[in-house]
Amino acid sequence: MKTKTGSAWKAAVAAAAIAGGLFAGSASAQLAGHNVILVHGFQQQDLADPPANLQEVKSAGADYWQTFWLSRSDARIDFGSDGRVEGNIAQQAYQQLQTISQQGLCNDYCIVVSHSTGDLVTRYLLENQARWLQNNGLQPLKILASIDFSGAGGGTELADLALSVAYNDSWYNWPLKQAVRAFTGINPQPGNLGVVNDLQTNVARNLAVSPNNIPRLRFVAGGSSFGGITKPFISGTDDGVVPTHSACGATTSQGIDSCSSSLSLAGKVSGQDGPSALYFNHYPVLMNEGASHSGVLGSETGNISVPVVNNRTLNGLQVDFASRTYNKRAWWQWWGSGDRYVEVPGSDQTDMSTLVYNTLNN
Amino acid sequence: MPARLLLAIAFITLCAVGLGFFLSAENTGQFAWLTDSQPQLAAVINPDSSPKTAGSLQTPPPVEPSDGALGFMLASVAQDYAQNIRYPDYSLPLTEAQAKGYQGNRFDPISLPLPGDGSFTVTLEKFRFVEGEQVLVVASVMGRQVVSQRMTASLVNAATADKLESEELTRSADGFFQGQLTADGSPGEYRLIVEARIDGDSVRHVSTLTIEPDLGDFEGLGDSDIRNNDLVIPVHFDARTSGFYALSAQLLADGRPIALLSAEKRLDGSASTIDLRAHGSVLAGKDVDGKLQIRHLQIRRLPAQPGDRTDYGFGPDEGYSFTPPDLESLTDTPASDPESEQRAALLQRLADKF
Repeated sequence: MKTKTGSAWKAAVAAAAIAGGLFAGSASAQLAGHNVILVHGFQQQDLADPPANLQEVKSAGADYWQTFWLSRSDARIDFGSDGRVEGNIAQQAYQQLQTISQQGLCNDYCIVVSHSTGDLVTRYLLENQARWLQNNGLQPLKILASIDFSGAGGGTELADLALSVAYNDSWYNWPLKQAVRAFTGINPQPGNLGVVNDLQTNVARNLAVSPNNIPRLRFVAGGSSFGGITKPFISGTDDGVVPTHSACGATTSQGIDSCSSSLSLAGKVSGQDGPSALYFNHYPVLMNEGASHSGVLGSETGNISVPVVNNRTLNGLQVDFASRTYNKRAWWQWWGSGDRYVEVPGSDQTDMSTLVYNTLNN
Repeated sequence: MPARLLLAIAFITLCAVGLGFFLSAENTGQFAWLTDSQPQLAAVINPDSSPKTAGSLQTPPPVEPSDGALGFMLASVAQDYAQNIRYPDYSLPLTEAQAKGYQGNRFDPISLPLPGDGSFTVTLEKFRFVEGEQVLVVASVMGRQVVSQRMTASLVNAATADKLESEELTRSADGFFQGQLTADGSPGEYRLIVEARIDGDSVRHVSTLTIEPDLGDFEGLGDSDIRNNDLVIPVHFDARTSGFYALSAQLLADGRPIALLSAEKRLDGSASTIDLRAHGSVLAGKDVDGKLQIRHLQIRRLPAQPGDRTDYGFGPDEGYSFTPPDLESLTDTPASDPESEQRAALLQRLADKF
């Protein structure tokens, strides 16, 4: 999810976005030698001011990724957040899928980069794109992998609450109402929630969950958004918008603390409430306790990333990569060696998107 | 008097030592016999490292970001993915925990926080109801709130806002409110609105469910047989309308999940059987004695065009039992899917860079 301050810029960005057609990239836009397709997240502005046409959707999509990925992509699948996944969003996405197929952009396998709601949209498209494209005599897209930042494919409790707020005109739980307003950017009403409907935990987890062969690489944030007012209303740890159970790819919406049962989001080696199971081919790769929901897209540095090392690897003495383990004492601990942490060395000097991009392109 | 003085000194000394232990970083807040595994775990992570002094724990010198850890993780993904694709996507092994997650049609309770530590929770048996089915609603309010004796539950069409039905929930002895609605509306998304008076205010708890069209009837299993390296289980389904259907189900032995099976097929009136296949990679070497079970059958009519709805149907809750043929001929041979193999090779090539 990303917030915007207004729509006046749209016209300016639109010209560039449309002039470039659907393709946003430059000559060096590939990731590890493969074309990159971006699928953005929930855009608040679309609920307050629904886009009038695909042109506006495309220009908002371009803006969404401007911080880092826009210049490193070859195509985008943009959608209006005022729509539903099995509705306008599927239709808008399909128009762009057709073009990507016709251009042969994924003949040598593409990499999808998704953020937030883009995770859910990608999952739905992966389930249906081959059949739809083949029915129209087009080649299905060949996807190598999907890199999912703060994936909201498992929904968020904020969307559950948004629905109740929409049906309660005068409700006395003021902090909850403020959290929902911060998340949606509007005063929720029954008919104006758009894709937020799909982000309800039960709705998201009953949509296109059949397994497929596309590996989903999960990058998980745990920082604050909206000044922290949304955190109390999300189960387990979260990034201010998306709960960790969703970002990791856990098979249930039960609140969890980390993607690993032995490492915290901050990298502390300790027993954690981790997922009991993950969806097939979902691989949590990095966690970052300090990165915010939108910060993973390239705007935040100073936060340490943690490799999601599993029990098997930990117990099998296989942690021989160039991670850094160190001990740290809490402020109230006067002496002793302290708790042990694992981190990606130097990851606080960069942001998660740059870290992933540089690693894959080195 | 000296005895009292000695006692006082001993007490102060003990307090000082205790405080020191409490403030020590080694104090994890638990007794040693409960935390014995922690030092071992730490040693496992970095067997070569020795405990560092406080001085060495200060801000680390700035270093260029190293890709080592992320590279390791990618190599790990490549390895796991290569392991996963030995199972064909129509026959995936299931752990107990995964089986729960993949049962389909789950509705996890939705809690609405109330001021203080209270919560207003609504639970349903499932998320999707076929036309005409009963919807059992259970609601509860936890906390110090004053709750009225009455609650009502209503079903409202999400698209039209038309109210389908409204029922009063009755309070049981254990404090839960229960009632039944009938999913007697056109297929689509519905709001379940449970309304209560809490602390004198009207509070609505709203969640979502769907009403599904009657897609057809499950009519049992055909005779299973072995083809190639698969146990083939024919599932008879009489579809009301033609379309492209996806069927999924869990294969169990003695109630233990073995695999998630899936298949897709166009049903057009002339064909009413979909073959589920359990690959040798999930069955070979398994101690299967007697009958196998197929449970959590879910059939979906897939959207023909973008924007169309996916429709869902479900098999009987008890599933089906069947006696498989001799499974001795099945082998734990990896499946072959050229696209997945190509994907694994590309991931491995990425991982090899590190």
